[in-house]
Amino acid sequence: MNIVLVGISHKTAPLEMRERLAFTEVCLRDALGELVDREALEEGLIVSTCNRVELLASAPSGADRGLGRMIEFLCGFHRLEPGTLNGHLYRHSDNDAIKHVFRVTSSLDSMVVGESQILGQVKDAYQAAVEAGTIGRVLSQLMNRAINVAKRIRTETGVAQNPVSISSVAVELARKIFNDLSDKTVLLVGAGETGELAARSLIEAGTGKLLVTNRTADRAQEVAGRFGGAAVSFEAFYEVLPSSDIVLCSTGASDYVIRAAQTRTALKSRKRGPMLFIDISVPRNIDPSIAELENAFLFDIDDLDSIVQSNLSERLREANAAEAIVEAEVHQFVMQLRSLDIGPAVEEVKEMLSQMAASEFRRNRKRLGGLSQEQEAAIQDVLLPSLVNKLSHPIILHLRNAAREREPSELIDELRKMLRID
Amino acid sequence: MEILWIVILAGYAICVAQSVFALTAKRPVMQRTSLTALGIALGAHTVWLVIKGIRANRCPLVGTEEMSAFLSWSLVVFYLIASRWYRAAALRAFVFPIVLALATIAAISPDLQSAPPPPNQPVQALLLPIHVGLILLSYASFFITFGAGLMYIIQERELKHKRFGTIFYRLPSLDTCDAIGSRSMAIGFVLLTVGILAGLWFTHARYGVYWQGGPLEIFSVATWVIYLLLIQARMNSGWGGRAGALASIVSFLIVVCSLVGVRYLGHA
Repeated sequence: MNIVLVGISHKTAPLEMRERLAFTEVCLRDALGELVDREALEEGLIVSTCNRVELLASAPSGADRGLGRMIEFLCGFHRLEPGTLNGHLYRHSDNDAIKHVFRVTSSLDSMVVGESQILGQVKDAYQAAVEAGTIGRVLSQLMNRAINVAKRIRTETGVAQNPVSISSVAVELARKIFNDLSDKTVLLVGAGETGELAARSLIEAGTGKLLVTNRTADRAQEVAGRFGGAAVSFEAFYEVLPSSDIVLCSTGASDYVIRAAQTRTALKSRKRGPMLFIDISVPRNIDPSIAELENAFLFDIDDLDSIVQSNLSERLREANAAEAIVEAEVHQFVMQLRSLDIGPAVEEVKEMLSQMAASEFRRNRKRLGGLSQEQEAAIQDVLLPSLVNKLSHPIILHLRNAAREREPSELIDELRKMLRID
Repeated sequence: MEILWIVILAGYAICVAQSVFALTAKRPVMQRTSLTALGIALGAHTVWLVIKGIRANRCPLVGTEEMSAFLSWSLVVFYLIASRWYRAAALRAFVFPIVLALATIAAISPDLQSAPPPPNQPVQALLLPIHVGLILLSYASFFITFGAGLMYIIQERELKHKRFGTIFYRLPSLDTCDAIGSRSMAIGFVLLTVGILAGLWFTHARYGVYWQGGPLEIFSVATWVIYLLLIQARMNSGWGGRAGALASIVSFLIVVCSLVGVRYLGHA
């Protein structure tokens, strides 16, 4: 089968190195054409993202030759000195290569385990290779299986379940309070970069309206304009507090900007259920005693971070279950490939035996004397094929059983010699 | 008929086990099994009610057995309606234990030896089951309000205490709990109002007066007033959130306790 893989990732090489090896979308087609020489490498695929560059191929004339050819191509294409990649590059063949592909696609090898982008990137890479005509029987099976394994792991384990960034945790909290965000208003207090980032993810999650307030009004105007929101003067932002549902605070102030007394009044006058306060400023800008008010939910940066940490460790725990799935899937896939490998050999054996039977029948036809047309047809259509099946059955069975335990290619060669198949 | 109860109870028991387990498990478990079990149990439950009705030649709403059977059946139906309207699978864990308990009561209650003769006047014969049926349906609806209130309080606690365990992720958002609560309360209130009116009409048709002042009558009107106040508070002063959820839980408990009390007193 000889599936080979070489690559570098965020685990083995710094960004600077990964940049030098990256393939842009534009050059991918040419690169694939150049990689697959139809001698050492029969099929090929290139995954190039900001965290990894991987070449995957099938190598009919042996794994070592295939791997050598891939490294040679990588250096040649990017005009690198042959020694540059030493220590950064990993190479895998056969089972290890399959396992690596499954792990990468399932996001078990990602910087943030369980992130969802990699699956899309792998699908794109596969599509590009299909279009470049460098995908054949082996890689198409491998990639389809890898995509299925990734989906299986997403649904059967919790690796991708809970949010693992400050912004996505804020969105998750908002969803757990409000469900539908489309009729909700976010008040962003402090239009710094961090605040803007968190506001952006809330807007992307579908929040209806954005109000921005900042000490310097120009900056508030600028950020509000960017997201189609409205700026509110910093002196008067308490007036819009009752109509806001999510208050996102991130200013450089050294004291509380949002105080408990005003918030209590706002909560009383708004008559519409809970409010979410998110304080991502250090030192804190929202009075912590607000957390004790009814229908007010306050989270500071430490709360958000502890959720991120616990979700991350949860994902790592779930990754163990995912690894077990990968192991089982690799085993199953190897079995499947091997049974595909013996397919042609089975056909050859049957063909050979049929020919033998047919020629023996022709040779001895005269000795059989006068046969009616029906008798002759019965011999050719029933007797000979059934003889061939009976004879080939134990051979095929033996091949199948052997393929379950090891690579069947040696056995197939042996069989060819025995039956004098060229 | 006994075999039907075995099927019904087994089906609901599977639903209870699955829903409680799903609330705390990390991965979805036995979803398909419990859905199939629910389908079979609800089918058998419906068949039981129909057979019971045909055999007795009236609506199966007389006596503990039939009333519990109908009430648990309505709860399942209301749960199914709520789950079509809202994404709140967790509601199951609050509804199905009660469904199972009521169905068990129905299953072990003895058959009515001597059912009171049905009213022979056609108007009365029509009004009585409408009255009883609507009131039972309104209780089922108020139970959903109660379940939604419980979910709200639990989720609110999780948020306030910053505990983000599996329950936090399984329970719906506060707004969803609130929406299920208000809607089921409104539906229950309408059912209760029409049910009480049918009852008043029935009393008048049979006894010539609208009001006899019996404990059940007083109880029904008291329930009606409690829910009227709750709805009024919600609509006018925006009394949603935690206070609203707590109030709906407490109201339901008061109603159930006094219903049990009234029935006991009535028998005594």
